Amino acid sequence: MSGDFTEIGRALPRKEDRRLVSGRGRYLDDLAFPGALHVSFVRSPHAHARILDIDSAEAAEMPGVVGIFTGRDLDQMTTRLRLAPPIEGLQPTELTTLPIEKVRFHGDPVVCVVATDRYLAEDAAECVTVEYDQLPAVTSITEAFAPDAALVDDSLTSNMVSHQSLCVGDPAARRAEAHRVVEARFSLHRHTHVPLETRGCVADWDDGRAHLNMHIGNQVPHPLRSQLAARLGLSESQVTVMSPDVGGAFGQKIALYREELTVAALSRHLRRPVRWREDRMENLMSAAHAREYECRTRTSVSETGRILGLELEIDEDFGGYCFYPANYMARVIALIMTGPYRIQDYAYEVRVALTNKCGAGPMRAPMAITSWVMEGTIDAIARDLDLDPVEVRRINALGPEDLPYKMPTGELLEDVSPRETLEIAVDAIDVAAFRARQAQARAKGRYLGLGLCTVIESTTYGSEFYKSAGIPGSGHESAWVRIEPSGAVNASVGLMGTGQGYESPLSQAVAEGLGVRSEDVTVHMGNTNIAPYGMGSRGGRGATAGGGTLYLCALKARERVLAIAASMLDLNDAGGLRMRAGQIERMIGEDWQETGLALTDIARRAYLDPLALPEGITPGLDFSHSYDPPAMTYSNSTHACEVEVDPQTGAITIDRYLVAEDSGTVLNPIVVRGQQQGAIAMGLSGALLEQVIYDGTGQNLSATLADYLVASPNELPEFEILHHNTPNRRTPAGIKGMAEGGVMGAIGVLANAVSDALAPRGVTIERLPLTPQSIRALLREAAPSSTKRTQP
Amino acid sequence: MTAPTHDPLTLSLSVNGETHDVRVPARKLLSDVLRDDLGLTGTHVGCEHGVCGACTVLIDGRPARACLTFAAQMEGHEVTTVEAMGRPDALSALQQALHEEHGLQCGFCTPGIVVTFEHYLRENPDPTAEEVRDVLSGNLCRCTGYQNIVAAVLKAAARMRGEAA
Repeated sequence: MSGDFTEIGRALPRKEDRRLVSGRGRYLDDLAFPGALHVSFVRSPHAHARILDIDSAEAAEMPGVVGIFTGRDLDQMTTRLRLAPPIEGLQPTELTTLPIEKVRFHGDPVVCVVATDRYLAEDAAECVTVEYDQLPAVTSITEAFAPDAALVDDSLTSNMVSHQSLCVGDPAARRAEAHRVVEARFSLHRHTHVPLETRGCVADWDDGRAHLNMHIGNQVPHPLRSQLAARLGLSESQVTVMSPDVGGAFGQKIALYREELTVAALSRHLRRPVRWREDRMENLMSAAHAREYECRTRTSVSETGRILGLELEIDEDFGGYCFYPANYMARVIALIMTGPYRIQDYAYEVRVALTNKCGAGPMRAPMAITSWVMEGTIDAIARDLDLDPVEVRRINALGPEDLPYKMPTGELLEDVSPRETLEIAVDAIDVAAFRARQAQARAKGRYLGLGLCTVIESTTYGSEFYKSAGIPGSGHESAWVRIEPSGAVNASVGLMGTGQGYESPLSQAVAEGLGVRSEDVTVHMGNTNIAPYGMGSRGGRGATAGGGTLYLCALKARERVLAIAASMLDLNDAGGLRMRAGQIERMIGEDWQETGLALTDIARRAYLDPLALPEGITPGLDFSHSYDPPAMTYSNSTHACEVEVDPQTGAITIDRYLVAEDSGTVLNPIVVRGQQQGAIAMGLSGALLEQVIYDGTGQNLSATLADYLVASPNELPEFEILHHNTPNRRTPAGIKGMAEGGVMGAIGVLANAVSDALAPRGVTIERLPLTPQSIRALLREAAPSSTKRTQP
Repeated sequence: MTAPTHDPLTLSLSVNGETHDVRVPARKLLSDVLRDDLGLTGTHVGCEHGVCGACTVLIDGRPARACLTFAAQMEGHEVTTVEAMGRPDALSALQQALHEEHGLQCGFCTPGIVVTFEHYLRENPDPTAEEVRDVLSGNLCRCTGYQNIVAAVLKAAARMRGEAA
């Protein structure tokens, strides 16, 4: 990392902590709105059914009830969501704010009850009677694609809402000439985000000003404002989105959800503040789900394990509604699949199914399955050819001599180090020593396994990416920096943090660019009247897009500050000046020496004595800047872990976990380390425990935290993190971004380690999660003779 | 369906050493009364079924789930919330250690963890990492992976024992 930085790279503890750790944070439900009404939604008990009749007469008479609203009512107050981007193979979809004709999943909101308090609203919701005509439920990809399948969305021609393919080079020819063709399968189960703070909002319609104040924990305040204004028929001047402290999001707080739009519309309709907080059951059943994929690879390989060609099929279960274009997540998986490896002959086919389940959305690492598929494929090659999996990685991995490397999909990799992180991880975990331990353990009937997983993580999506992927949207970001008359430094950017801890690292980006201390910078986020229009927080864009834009904006501010300083020091230009910690220094001879001039003096002149400013410099110190990152930035890492599987109970113990990471220039190592740990934890939790379960009729069986299990500290190991950071030469300060790769690596490395452990039993992991029950089932199916029980 | 009783009860609640008289329905949860009626919003509601631990408070000095408790049960008992355990400008040893060790991210689970371990460390001043993990398993954290929370609790314990840490 560049030694030139004084603020970037400092291990500065988070500015948010004091309020949060003392219970003085302000989350949505901590904001008081006198006279606010509360809503409760009546939700569908069926996976798929026609709505025949809604009887709310009894509920309407109950204490505290102010109003009861259905899909027909909301259709008068809002416009419908039409998603029809010009993407070949993508069927356009349209949905109403609440369902009118039929429900599409267990938990679909049908009726909105408004009352004077939450308890009364829930009482009344229980007394609303909805009459349904049940329809056949489509609960799997296979069912969705069956020729006689019921249509989830009656306006579509089939449940295959999206279908795309690509063929680069000649994979068929590579197959014909290959030494072997290795096939592998990967089935990732349905997850959900489980932010500790569920979704919720307060809509406060200001009737005098005809203005909607929307308080909502959300990752993308400005795009949300655009959506709200459009769906309510308001101008963007009539809507302010304000995001308070947010108790986690992980991708679940991006879209404008139907409940939130309903609350906003009803505040306007009733001319009163209206608030909603979903309960945990609603969050688990009805917010958003993620990650349900079936993938197959067919890999043509040489005798040494060199990959000649790769063919990939991805099927995704998208659930009942499209809140994002249906190719949104799966397409990225297909685009970056080849990741760390030299592959040029490549084909993919991606099919997305609508089913009668909760709608899918991006969840921290929407492309999470990628690394498992690619690295599981590498292990399948090693097994098939009886080669060392480390060697198969080595002969295929991209090294420095291959860079910049254009993937077969056109994606450009530069300033990444997959072979280096592989070697660091292999060295640190000491593969040879592990193999010796493993052999000894196997002799005693114990099952130890080692997994490896190299990750290429797409972090910052520039506008060029969106354009080439055919997805509407922009990857740019905007910022302002203001030095106030007192010399205080305020800044703002269009991101919105949901727990990552942006305040310190973004202050550091500003401080570095301007030449002040990070402690003296305040970054304001989450209010659309204050922040510039930005694309918000998603993927790993916070550091490069947000931090990068703030850094560039601060450089602009510095230039002006130094120009004024030069005139105050009677110098011709600012060439020999710099600012450090808010003090102007001048190069005299070989040394930087203090001038006695400080930012406070310059600010005073800029605001209060503007006639003394040099010619051509306007009063004030107010700067704005926007920046569009490269089409894509990539970070990379290699994960390694050791596990032991207990064949009697099916329990998996993670004995050691390490990751070698290349995250580029790090704004704040404390925050980055926390993101690495959290991402790995989320990946492991998903691979070990979590699972949204629907039965064959589409009933959701995982609607409490006692059913949808999230890892506790007892299931998670200590994480060892090894750094190999190489700056990106095309981004401001060399920033790359990170925070999702840990999920990608954790899923793949765990599956590979368990496959390695159970190799003597002939078990290969093709399906997650790896619960004790699923491990036991695999061992029973494999049933090697040594453990068959004889009947008494 | 029988209509629930909405007639409010008048309760005298002792919270953080102060007595509060409130009029609330009998069915109102302690977590809701603390937040809505007493303005003590540091107690967070994460699941309302006793799993996540975000709403943990002390009842007569022992950790309990405020979301599984009716306020009406609390007459004659002493309730302590995170607000009594330190202020932003005067953090407790545990809160300071959580800050230094980056033991929180979104912070929604943090008050429950602070309450749990302020109590635990008083009774167990010298725990092992394994013991801390075991106790922490009653509080769900979705952000951190727990490693830094464990480090923070151990650091706070050492400082509270008077050892340099």
